[in-house]
Amino acid sequence: MSTIAIISSFADDAQCAHAIEELRAAQVGDFNTFSPIPSHRIEHAIGRKKSPVRWIVLMGGISGILTGLAITIGTTYEWRLDAGGKPLLSWPPFIIICFELMVLFGGIFGFLGVLMLSGIPATEIAPGYNGRFGEDRFGIMVRCDEAEAARVESMMRESGAEEIVREGVQ
Amino acid sequence: MAAAPKIPIEPSYRDIDRSVLRIMEPASMAYWAWIGFCFTLVAIAAGFWLRQIYSGLGVTGLQQPVMWAIYITNFVFWVGIAHSGTLISAILFLFRTKWRTAVYRAAETMTIFAVATAGLFPLIHLGRVWLFYWLLPYPNQRYLQPDFRSPLVWDAFAVSTYLTISSLFWTMGLIPDIANAREAATGWRKKFYTVLAMGWQGTDRQWRHYSMAYLLMAGLATPLVLSVHSVVSWDFAMAINPGWHSTIFAPYFVAGAIFSGVAMVITLLIPMRRLLGIEDLLTEWHFDNLAKVVLLTSLVVSYAYITEAFMTWYTGDPIEQMTFHMRYFGPWGWMYWVMVLCNCVIPLLLFSPRIRVNLRALWVITIFVNIGMWFERFVIIAGSLTANFEPSQWASYRPSVTEIMITIGSFAWFLGLFSLFSRFLPIISMTELKEGIVWLRKALKMDRVKAA
Repeated sequence: MSTIAIISSFADDAQCAHAIEELRAAQVGDFNTFSPIPSHRIEHAIGRKKSPVRWIVLMGGISGILTGLAITIGTTYEWRLDAGGKPLLSWPPFIIICFELMVLFGGIFGFLGVLMLSGIPATEIAPGYNGRFGEDRFGIMVRCDEAEAARVESMMRESGAEEIVREGVQ
Repeated sequence: MAAAPKIPIEPSYRDIDRSVLRIMEPASMAYWAWIGFCFTLVAIAAGFWLRQIYSGLGVTGLQQPVMWAIYITNFVFWVGIAHSGTLISAILFLFRTKWRTAVYRAAETMTIFAVATAGLFPLIHLGRVWLFYWLLPYPNQRYLQPDFRSPLVWDAFAVSTYLTISSLFWTMGLIPDIANAREAATGWRKKFYTVLAMGWQGTDRQWRHYSMAYLLMAGLATPLVLSVHSVVSWDFAMAINPGWHSTIFAPYFVAGAIFSGVAMVITLLIPMRRLLGIEDLLTEWHFDNLAKVVLLTSLVVSYAYITEAFMTWYTGDPIEQMTFHMRYFGPWGWMYWVMVLCNCVIPLLLFSPRIRVNLRALWVITIFVNIGMWFERFVIIAGSLTANFEPSQWASYRPSVTEIMITIGSFAWFLGLFSLFSRFLPIISMTELKEGIVWLRKALKMDRVKAA
């Protein structure tokens, strides 16, 4: 039995979310969605855990603070500059450097994290994508056995799909 | 560019895309003439800078004790301008402010180019610019390191972090919009946008990570905005110089930065909406709200001026009092009163709801604010240096042609970059406008009802 892809497009995210709930309840095939905007409805319907990118940002922030401490303390000991008898390790200014590096590293890690987890940069556009999904349509691509195709299509139609296309999967 | 078709009162996602993508169509000769004009001025300013590098800082009007003047004023002015972008894109994002969606991309773009302009001034101000890297800690054979107790080192870290984070935040927001442009474009533009969109397709997986990262970046950028101008203010407040050494400087500078930044956003957006034909996307409602931010921050800045005067009187320090006496009534006293007029008095007109939505009046008011805020920095920075502790050291300052031309060049550089961006990349976020489409529809209804 060969696997096929069924691509359905919806006019709004509520219909799209409903179709996802139906698919999950019926436990048919695997799917992914395309949408022009981030939609909480779709996210809730899919029901995945929160993105791990927050842990990556946290790691970035912590490494920024540690880098800040290392360069301020390290360079102070390397070049012992006595300024008016002030303590060598002057914490208030060091906190400023640590804060800036926390934000810098947190931001860079977050940006790289989102690229890595989202699979971009990608050189090829994945099958099933259509320009309208970036514009004003919400799409679901379901990969399933040919035998289940009719069932999936009827589920999509009942949820309000405007257009349903079948594609072969290599 | 053809005349802009009016978008329907109940716009769809597609109407938004069409309106924004239309801006990115090939530009007219007048546009290229404007770009050419801006970059010619930049080239002239670069020539003056080269001459300064070759001859030394003697070609400027800087002399003891006024060693910080127009260059540092420009630095603080442009860093200040940069502040509204991140305020609108990050802080107002966290507050879920409805009107930010149409204006935030332009404000953020302004931020990037304003920081890029500001970042040039500490370099221009260096006598030996090729040694700028001495500000950064790096291993060297003599174990010499920068002093982390110096606010100038904090500034190098703060401004470069600000530039990096705002660029990343801006790039992230651009990716889904560029993917839209990729679908609509043809020829070399399609290739250009395909590379920049990095294969974005708006899958649930991509949006899940993107939304979380965007929220966290906004969370990181929020304290960063407040910290950057605080650090810039400490360049002055940490010195014992009269007129600078004050604890109110951080909030005073942050309020001033947001004030001047939002004013500059309005100054740029009013002609831009007309020239690009996007009156339907940037409505009176947006300008009304931006004007309220200008009014609020103007009141905070006015309060800071009063506090500053009060503290000087209350401390009873005769040197501090003399500096302020000179600031108000000395040879440069007129600059102080121009600043008070532009920053405290003229913005009071914005209490009138009619003036807030009268775009011509609003544009003129914001120009005054820009002038007033430039003078504020000049009065604080150069003015305070003219009258120091020792009357025998008192001196005046006169900017040289080099300084004036480089200042004009900085405005041309900023406007040229902003204009280039506005025609090649989406200057209005399609994604966020679609997310807040309900509010755009309401704003359009209000506008059309009023027009009728």
